[in-house]
Amino acid sequence: MNAPSKAPFKARAKAALADPVLKTAIDRTTGNAERKRAAAVAAFPEFEAARARGKAIKDHVVAHLDHYLEMFERNAAARGAQVHWAADDAEARAIVTRICLAADARLVTRAKSMLGEEIGLPHALADAGIERVETDLAEHIIQLAGEAPSHIIWPAMHRTREQVAELFKTGHHPPPAAEDPATMVQSARTQLRTKFLSADIGISGANFLVADTGATCTVTNEGNAELTTTPPRIHIVTAGIEKLVPSTAHAFALLRLLVRSATGGEMTQYTTFHAGPKRPGDADGPEEMHIVLVDNGRTKMLADEFREMLRCIRCGACMNHCVVYRQIGGHAYGGTYPGPMGSVLTPVLDGLAASRDLPNACTMNGRCAEVCPVGIPLPTLLRAWRRRSWREGLEPGSIRTGIGLWAQLARRPRLYRLATRIGLPLLRLFGRGGWISRLPLAGGWTDHRDLPRPAAQSFMDQYRAQQKGRK
Amino acid sequence: MTARDRILSAIRTALGPGKPPAQIAAEAAALLDPAGIARPHLVAPVLPDAFALKATALGTTIDRVASMADLPQAMARYLDAHGLPPRFAMQPAPELAALDWQGLAPHQGTAPDEPTALGLALCGIAESGSLVIHSGPDNPILMSFLPLHHVAVLRESTLLPYLEDYAARLSAQAVPRNAILITGPSGTTDIEGSYVRGAHGPGFLHVILIADAGTEPG
Repeated sequence: MNAPSKAPFKARAKAALADPVLKTAIDRTTGNAERKRAAAVAAFPEFEAARARGKAIKDHVVAHLDHYLEMFERNAAARGAQVHWAADDAEARAIVTRICLAADARLVTRAKSMLGEEIGLPHALADAGIERVETDLAEHIIQLAGEAPSHIIWPAMHRTREQVAELFKTGHHPPPAAEDPATMVQSARTQLRTKFLSADIGISGANFLVADTGATCTVTNEGNAELTTTPPRIHIVTAGIEKLVPSTAHAFALLRLLVRSATGGEMTQYTTFHAGPKRPGDADGPEEMHIVLVDNGRTKMLADEFREMLRCIRCGACMNHCVVYRQIGGHAYGGTYPGPMGSVLTPVLDGLAASRDLPNACTMNGRCAEVCPVGIPLPTLLRAWRRRSWREGLEPGSIRTGIGLWAQLARRPRLYRLATRIGLPLLRLFGRGGWISRLPLAGGWTDHRDLPRPAAQSFMDQYRAQQKGRK
Repeated sequence: MTARDRILSAIRTALGPGKPPAQIAAEAAALLDPAGIARPHLVAPVLPDAFALKATALGTTIDRVASMADLPQAMARYLDAHGLPPRFAMQPAPELAALDWQGLAPHQGTAPDEPTALGLALCGIAESGSLVIHSGPDNPILMSFLPLHHVAVLRESTLLPYLEDYAARLSAQAVPRNAILITGPSGTTDIEGSYVRGAHGPGFLHVILIADAGTEPG
C-alpha cells in the first residue's frame, strides 16, 4: 500500500479539485448516502431521542472508562480470549506481528477495520513477510490499486466502475467475464473463497466491545467478517479503547444510530458477537482469540478539550454531508480518517504541526454536527485546534500578519467604516450576476469558488439610514 | 510499567476518583429506561407479520407453513423454484434429521461452493426482520455463510419484538462463542454504490416460518 502523499494539503486538494472523474465518483456515493440517511431518519420519529440516548451512553462509558476496560478484560479472559494492551500504534503492530510470527502464519485474511489502518497494520504485516488478503470488497479493490481508504465506510468510493474493471482484469485469475458490478462482485467472491479457507490467521476490528460479556462485535453487509474470523486457527481483534459499551442492549441502542447514519439501512446484514475461541465440541471456530486494546492518543483526548470526540462511532455521516469532503474526497486529507471527524483526529494522531491545514479546511457550516448521531460538536472542536495552532505559533507568518492588520483595523471603528466605504464599491466592480469569480490578489479564494458580490452599502450605513428614516 | 498500567493510570489521572461499581451499573441501566421512547415501532400489530414485512423489504423471501412436518415439502418447493439440485447441506440437528425428506438428499458438512444449506434459527426479531443463530456443537457457523442459498427455519413462537428482548434473552444464558443476527442476504454497495447481492455470504436468504408452537430449537 502507498503511504499517503507527502505533498502539502493545499497541493493535494488542488489536484483533487482538478480531477473530474474523482468528483463524479464522490458525488455518486455521498449523494446516495445523504438521501438514504435522510429517508432512514424520517422513518424513525424517535431518532432524536435515540441520539440523545446514544450520546449519554458514550459519555457514561467515557466517564467510567477504566471500570469498563477492566470489566471487559475480565469477561473476555473468562471466555478464553487473550487480552493485550497497546499504548500506541507501534506497540499494537508489535503485538499483532508477534502473534503472527509465533504461529508461523503465512497467510492472513483481514476484515476492514479503520483502527487497523490507524496503527499501520498493513505495512507491519508486509514487513514481517506475511501475505495479507483484504476481504471487504472495497478494501480488496484498494489493495489491488495499492491505495489507502478514502472513506471510512466506502474505502474505494474514489474509484469508478471502469477503474475497478481495469484492476480486476489484471488482479483476478481468471479475469471477470464482464464489467458490470454483479459480475465483478461474483469474481471477487470466487477469488477470495480459497483465501478465506486457507488463511492461518483472521484479523478483524470491533464496532463494539461488550463489557459484561467480554464479546467483540463486528457489523458487515457482505459476510466477510465471519468468513475471516471462523476458519483460521487464530482470530485477532484490534480495537480502540473507546469502543466499549456496558452491555449488549447498549450496543443495540448505538447500532440503530450507526447503521442509519452510515448507509441509511436499519440493520447491517450481519451483526456478530465473538466471545472467545472455539468451545469444546463446537463445530467450527478459531482455537485462539486475541484482543488488542489500543490507546494511541485516546487517553490524551480524555484529558483535554477533545474528550467529546471519544463518542465517535465511525459512521461517516459527517464526511457525507461535508461540502469540503465532497469537493476533494478523502485522500487529500492525508490522514487515516478524512472529513470533519478526521480533521479532529489527525492532529491527535499525526501532530498538529503536520496537520494544521485540516482544521482550517472547514467552512463552519455546521452540517457535520447536525447529522452526527452522537452529537459531537465537530465545528467547536475544529475551532479548538485553530486556537491551539495560533497559540503554539504554528500559523505561517503571512496569516499572522494578515490577521494582525485586520485586528488593528477592526479595533478602530472610524477607520474600519472608512475602509469598507472605499472597499465595497471597488469589490462590486468585479461582480458578474451576483458573484465575483475573479479578483486580483485573491486567487487563493476565487480559483476554486466564487465570492458573493457585496451590497452597495455596508450593514452599518444601511442601519443608520434606516434609523434616520424612522425619526 | 506495562502498557496496561500506563493506559489505566492515564485514564484515572484524567477522570479522577471513580464511583462504586453498583452505582455505575445502576446508571448504565437507567440509560436504557424507558426502552420505548428511543426505538422504532413494529410495522404490524402481530409479530409474524411485522417480522415478515421487515424481512421481505430487505430481499429475504418467506414461506409460511403450518408445522415442521411441512418443512420437506417447503424445501422441495424452494429448490425447484430456483432450479437447485436436491442435494443440500443440513445442520446436524436431531429435529431436522427426524423428518421424512422423501426425494431430497440432505447431507452433513458444507463444501466451499455449496449451493444450498438448511439450518434452524434460534429466534427472530420482529423490529428488524433479523434471524438469530448461536454457534455450538450442532451449529457450524460456516454453514450460514458459504452457500449461495441460505434457507433458515424459524418458528413463529420464538419471535421477539425488539432487539432489547433478544439482549435480555442472551444475558440470561451462557454466552455462546458466536451470536449472529442475520438481516437479509449478503450484499455490497462498494462499486459506485450499486447494490449487488451475494458479496461473500449467501446471495439468497429464504425463511420458512413455522406457525406451530412445538419445542424451541437450539
